[in-house]
This record gives sequence, C-alpha cells and structure tokens, in this order.
Amino acid sequence: MTNTQQEILRVSDLSTRFFTQEGQVNAVADLDLRIERGEVFGIVGESGSGKSVTARSIMDLIEPPGEITDGSIEFHDSDLADAVRDDYPEAVDGEYVDLLEVPPEIRESLRGTSFSMIFQDPESSFNPTLTVGEQLAEAVEVQRRASSRPRSTRAKTEEYSFGSFALSTVLPSKKYVTEESRNRAIELLELVGIPDPVERADEYPHEYSGGMLQRAMIAQALAGEPDVLVADEPTTALDVTIQAQVLDLLADLQEETGMTIVLITHNLGVIARMCDRVGVMYAGEIVERGSLEDVFDEHVHPYTEGLLGSLPDLDGTTGRLQPIAGNVPSLLDSEMENRCYFADRCPKAMEDCLDHPPEYDAGGDDHEVRCVLAERRYDRTRALPDGYFGETERAAADKHADPDRTEEDVQPERAEGTVESSGGDRL
Amino acid sequence: MSTETPDTAGAGDAPADGQPLVRVDGLEKYFWENNSLVDRLLGDDPVAVRAVDGVSFDIQEGETLGLVGESGCGKSTTGETLLRLQEPTAGRVEFDGQNVYDLEGSDLTEFRRDAQVVFQDPFSSLDPRMTIGEIVQQPLAVHDVGTEQERERRVRELLERVGLSVEQLDRYPHEFSGGQRQRIGIARALALDPEFLVLDEPTSALDVSVQAQVLNLLDDLQAEFDLTYLLISHDLSVIRHICDRVAVMYLGEIVEIGPAADVFEDPKHPYTEALLESVPRASTDEQDREIETLSGDVPSPRDPPSGCRFRTRCPKVIPPEDIDIDRAAFRAIMDLRERIEGRDISLETVGEDGQFEFEDGRLAVGDRSEFVATLKERVLDRDLPARDDAIVEEALAELAASDWEAAAERLRDEYETVCERQNPPLSGTGTETRAGAGTGTGTGTGMEKAGPSSTSDGSSADEDHPVACHLFAESGHRAPESDSR
Repeated sequence: MTNTQQEILRVSDLSTRFFTQEGQVNAVADLDLRIERGEVFGIVGESGSGKSVTARSIMDLIEPPGEITDGSIEFHDSDLADAVRDDYPEAVDGEYVDLLEVPPEIRESLRGTSFSMIFQDPESSFNPTLTVGEQLAEAVEVQRRASSRPRSTRAKTEEYSFGSFALSTVLPSKKYVTEESRNRAIELLELVGIPDPVERADEYPHEYSGGMLQRAMIAQALAGEPDVLVADEPTTALDVTIQAQVLDLLADLQEETGMTIVLITHNLGVIARMCDRVGVMYAGEIVERGSLEDVFDEHVHPYTEGLLGSLPDLDGTTGRLQPIAGNVPSLLDSEMENRCYFADRCPKAMEDCLDHPPEYDAGGDDHEVRCVLAERRYDRTRALPDGYFGETERAAADKHADPDRTEEDVQPERAEGTVESSGGDRL
Repeated sequence: MSTETPDTAGAGDAPADGQPLVRVDGLEKYFWENNSLVDRLLGDDPVAVRAVDGVSFDIQEGETLGLVGESGCGKSTTGETLLRLQEPTAGRVEFDGQNVYDLEGSDLTEFRRDAQVVFQDPFSSLDPRMTIGEIVQQPLAVHDVGTEQERERRVRELLERVGLSVEQLDRYPHEFSGGQRQRIGIARALALDPEFLVLDEPTSALDVSVQAQVLNLLDDLQAEFDLTYLLISHDLSVIRHICDRVAVMYLGEIVEIGPAADVFEDPKHPYTEALLESVPRASTDEQDREIETLSGDVPSPRDPPSGCRFRTRCPKVIPPEDIDIDRAAFRAIMDLRERIEGRDISLETVGEDGQFEFEDGRLAVGDRSEFVATLKERVLDRDLPARDDAIVEEALAELAASDWEAAAERLRDEYETVCERQNPPLSGTGTETRAGAGTGTGTGTGMEKAGPSSTSDGSSADEDHPVACHLFAESGHRAPESDSR
C-alpha cells in the first residue's frame, strides 16, 4: 500500500435515507470512503448495517422512498471532467467529478462503462426467458452504443414502445442485436471460465448452475470494461468450493484488467482472502477502516473485535465464542440517539460514548476508527452502569448466551491501537 | 458404518462400547420425478432423485454429530428422514434400540417427544398468528402434558432459559429478530424435554454475532439437559466448533466420518480436503495461502456418476495401474472424457468460421489432422506425455467423423479408472471390502457400503475414522480388476 496511489473514488459525508411510513431510516450516515485505483476494498458488516445501501448509492441505484440526502461521490476521470467542466463547473474539482452534482443522464451513462455491479443472487438477476448469451449481448450492445455516443443516454437503450411489443408477439424475437455482440458475449463467457461458451451462450439461465450463473453475471458486468466493479455479496449464495472458484476468478480478473473492486460481504474470511483495505460498517457508518492488517490484527473498535470474536474457528482452538450481546439496532431516525450507536452492545461503553464519536486516527497509514478508545484507555470508573440503556432483552440475552463474560473478563488495561483479547488471538 | 469394529458390521447389533442412541443403517431416500398419472399414461419412467443413498452412522448418547456438505448433498433430507418426517425408501433407523419406522401408537408418540428438530429459517418455521407463548406451549398441549398452569410455568421457564424475557410471552414472531426467533424455535423444541435434537442449519440465517450467541446457547443446553445433537450445516467452522464427530456428505453418501479433530486436522477423502481448503480463513495470512480450487459443479443426483461420486471433480482420481501419468494430466484427460461422453463439445464451432465444413456430420478426410489439432488446443489446456497425447488425438479424430461413441470408447478403453468402476465403501484403511465389480455402477440398492467384511487381515484400520475412497483401499486390490481391460 503506498500513499502515491491515486484515489479513484472519494465518497464524503454520504447520507442515504429512506422515508418510510414508520419514519426516516438513516441507512447510511456521514460515510467517508477513499478507494484507490486498482485495489480491492472490502466493506464488511452484518445485515442492516448499510453496506448494500452504500454500494447502491455509489451505483446510483437508490430508489424511492430512498434518497441520497447529503454528501458527495467524486469519481476520478479526467475525460469526464473535461466533458462536463463547462456545463457543470461546480461538479468538477480538478480531475474529479462529483457524481451527485451532474444530471442523472450523465450518471447513467457511467453505469456499465465506469461502474458495474454484481449482485448476490444470480438466479434472480437474470431474465429466465432469454438465453444467457442474449442477455450478455444486450449488455455488450448497450455499452457499445454508449461508447459510440458518450455521455448521451438516448443511444443507450432502444425505445421499447407499444409498437415493438405488438411486433414481438408476431415476429420471432430478434435474438442477438448483431453478430459482433454475440461474439463478444461468447468471449466474455470464455473470459470468466465457462467451458464451451459457444454452446453455453444459447442456454437459458435455468440450465446453468449457481456458480456458472454467477460467472455469467460477472461476465455481464465486465461487458463495459468498468473501472470500478461493485460486488455485493458475490458469493453468499454459493457453496464453499464454488465460492473459492468465484473468488479466484475475481482476483484473476482484477489482476488482468486492473479494475478496482468494492467487495461487500458479511463474511470476514472472504474479506481476508480478497481485500487490500477494509471498512467495517455498523448502523450506517464505517466504524473502523484501514488496511487488512489494521482491521484484523490491530483493531481498536470493540465492534470489530466482537465480530472477529464471534467467528468459530476452523482450526479448532476451541473455546467459548465471544459474541456481541443484543441485536443490530434500529436505524429509525426517531430511535437513534446522538451517541455511539454501538454503546448499548459494547462491553466497554463509557460515559464518553454518549457523544457521537468522530473518526479518530488510530495510528497506521490510514487507520481510522469511530471510537473513543482510539484516544483514551478504557476506564472502568467511567463505565456506564449495567442496564443503562434499559433493554431488558439485552440483560436476558447476556445472562444466558454469555454467562462467562463478566466485568472481570473485560480487559481494563489495553494499549492504544492494539488488542490482545481472546478475539484477536484466535484468528 | 462409523464407529463399530469390522466384525460387528452387518450384524446390526450393539457394539461392545454401549448402545448408540441413534443408529442409522443403509438409509435411502429417493424422490421420484415424472411420477404423475399423466407421466405413467404416457409411459414415461419415473426418475429417481437419490437425495440420500445408503447412509449409515451412529450417534452416541450425549455427543454431537455434525453432518456437513454442500447444498443438495442430502444432509437435510437425512435429518428429516431419520426423524420420520419423510418415509424412507430403504434402510433402518434405530432410536434407543427400536426401529423408528416400525413404531406405532404410543411408541411413536414417545419417539416424537424424544426427538425434536430446530429448523433453519426462523422466519418461516414459526406460525405468524400465534404468540410466542402459544408457540412454545403447543407441543405440550399436543402431547397433553401437565395442567394448564404447569404448562404456562414450563413455557416461562423455557423462554427464560433460552434468553428471552417472560414479558415477551404475548408478542408475535414478527416482533422478534432472527436470533430471537431461533431462540423461540429452540425453546419449542425443548418443551417436551427431548433426548435428541436435529439442528438443521440452526444458524445459517443469522449474522455472525448472533450466530455466536445461539451456538453458545446450544452448547449450554446440551450440557444442562444431556442432549444429543445431530447438527446439519454447510458451515465448516460451525461444525468444527460444536461437534464431537463429523460426517462429510457428498451427493447422498457419506464419504468420511470421524472425530471432529481427526477429520479437520487429517482429512483423508479428497473431497473433505478440498472442502476444508476452500473455506476462506478470517486472518491476515489468508492471501498467502495457496488453494487449489475444485473444478466443476456437483453432478445431479438424478444421474450420479458411477463408482465414486466425487470422481468427476476429484483432483486425485486414480489412473489405471499401468499408466504413468501425473495427477493433473490425468485429471485433464478425465475431464475431456466426460465431455465426450456427455457430448458436450460443439464441433461446428471449432476453428475459424467456415474453416471446417461438416457434411453429414463428417469432416473431409484431408482436414482431419488440422481439425484434431485445433480441437485439442481448445479442450485441453496442458501438454500430455507423448503416449497419452497420441491416444487423445485418436479419440478426437473419431470426433471429426462425429463418432462420439468411438471416441468415448477409445478413451474408456485406455483410461478406465477404479474410481468409476466401483463405489468405494466407507471403511477404515486397509480393509477388504469389494462387493463385486458389477454393483459399483450405482444401480438401485445394490450399492452396499455396508462396511468392512470380516475377511480383513491385519487391518491398520482407523476404525474411528473410516473414509470412502479408493486411495485408502489396499493397493493390491486394483490389480485383479484391471484384468477386464
């Protein structure tokens, strides 16, 4: 990791909210991200932590009632900067373009060619009535038209009018748009390691296995030769042996094309296998980020520690798991207090945690953490009393799920920046 | 067959080391496709999906047996069938010495009380229209246990025990998070004070931090109530964490079974090895760990491969004895064979457009050598030893005449491996177990994996840790079988 790496994506103060009947949900709040060109950046967190919303915000795939309410997403692309500088001077900063300041057509035109995304569930991401080859060719065609008339969305998709619908009921569907795009689709299938791509291109999604379909989806995402590939839980639906294949494939493709990958997953093993740098998300924020080593070995935030301590170990150095008590908090604005959102589950909650912590520098190159423990040691005299947050359920869960963990177990003496608790050791 | 000594196998009686609580012997569960009236009228033969195909194991009282495998390997079906939630196709399951499938009346009711199940998905396994108090109380009511007051007291006790608060008794499932719902499911399973719990992926719908809470809870409950668990999971680290013994399943069969520490530290079956290798470790050393990923997908249980079911993906598939070839090259040849046997190569698209013209499925003789070279380049990504290279070329030349049969035959003649002729029995190393070459192709119930026969001499057998792989059979066995070639 070098500092000279160029940042391809700078996300600052990003807030994405959902305005639902129950109230405003702060899915992502004040999120900062710096993603360097050519790296694999991992975002890890539990369900409901906002990792997928982050990915979709970057991709501009947030749909009502969701809305990006604040922040900027700056993308490094000097051509794009030149192209929009005259029309939208406020969006351009050097070679960076703030994607939230340019009109939706331009953002849309970047999709596929600059940003691309693969999803968790390949089975539901393909159209079951078209062959895989057709769907790939369609992506190829869309990208080809987009690049022949850049920054224009008119050419991106063919008009789908009532006329064409009526026609399609009479005439057989026009399969591949051109022979060229079909060939490119086959090339792409070959690139992602699908055996016999020529035949496979004419098969329907149900004839593919889950792993193959995930490969096909990767192929589709690569159709526009994107600079940034956002992979949202790309292997969660797959078995471990297939997961290993797909991860290998992603790593190979990344090496070959030099693209940047933003990998979103709940699986810490996948993060460890793939990523250069990691952000740990909790309740819509990144609570700790840094290099893989920073986060796995030198973590400061008790949540990171809790996540790692919750993992059963494959090498069998058994011991009792050290789970995090309680449950993922509600992100309803009305229920979120202005404090550290983890304080109610945190074994080291102190009075200081009642203020929402800023990002502290936790030592190391680019290691930042939203926890006061980065600044001061855990001080038991300042600890919040049990039941401070008044959750009966937490007490009950604690008592049974984790009777071993008493106050004595919490290590009061801890050096800043390092953790030597059981969670860290057993990695 | 798991823990018994060779001489007790087949007899089906209790081994000396105490009666197991659960004994599964040759359990089979097939599902039938094309089995509707219409299909029968049309004369279509039903197709068997062999979800569980001859599985045998014991579970000792108080232990936790893990059943691990990828999706579709039959692990959940095994769990459901042994609880008699599904009727088996064949085989027997003894619970406390009684055959579960023969039970009737009060004996069956008693079995239903003693053996309980916790399901994977806490979102669909609780009735949304019942309060959690009612849900946990229902088994008590069904089995008519105690008075109303006693039942209520029991429900409170159970909820407290699994870490829920009694005040939540009147709430509905949708008000709870996934982890809490799984606790409710566990409380319900415990209501009748069972001896045996089948845990079917109890934590796979949960986040890691919540998963850890539930695993700890299960641990505590086992110690407190002397429970015996069958834990079904695809997550190897969960299995490792709470199981005493582990059975690894692949395509309806157990390929390896043994104490958890042995299986994880010294896996024998190439599938177990690959499975363990595939799990990404949450550690900073992970990126330096070289892993050899398994190629291909799990074959369909409708038409499982003959012989050893893992042979289509096995990196250690055994070459015929007289052939000197390295593993990777042999694997490549076997992959090619498979594609030829499955006619899974499109000949029309070989070469540049219009380079090779097929007429009536045949290629003009003059083009053939060029065709073979082009095709070989496409289907084989490595160089073979000269002798094997020649054989492969001969086979590919048959394809130029679209003679798939001949091509497959040529390769089969040369490269038929013991792995495809015989389904290796699940046995300790070095035991004589061959049940005749004919039955190995996987027809019906002839696939006996009934374990070691008594002829074993000087078995260096690891009886606690049997494995179903030809690599662990005595090497001498392969010689006579090669005569058939």
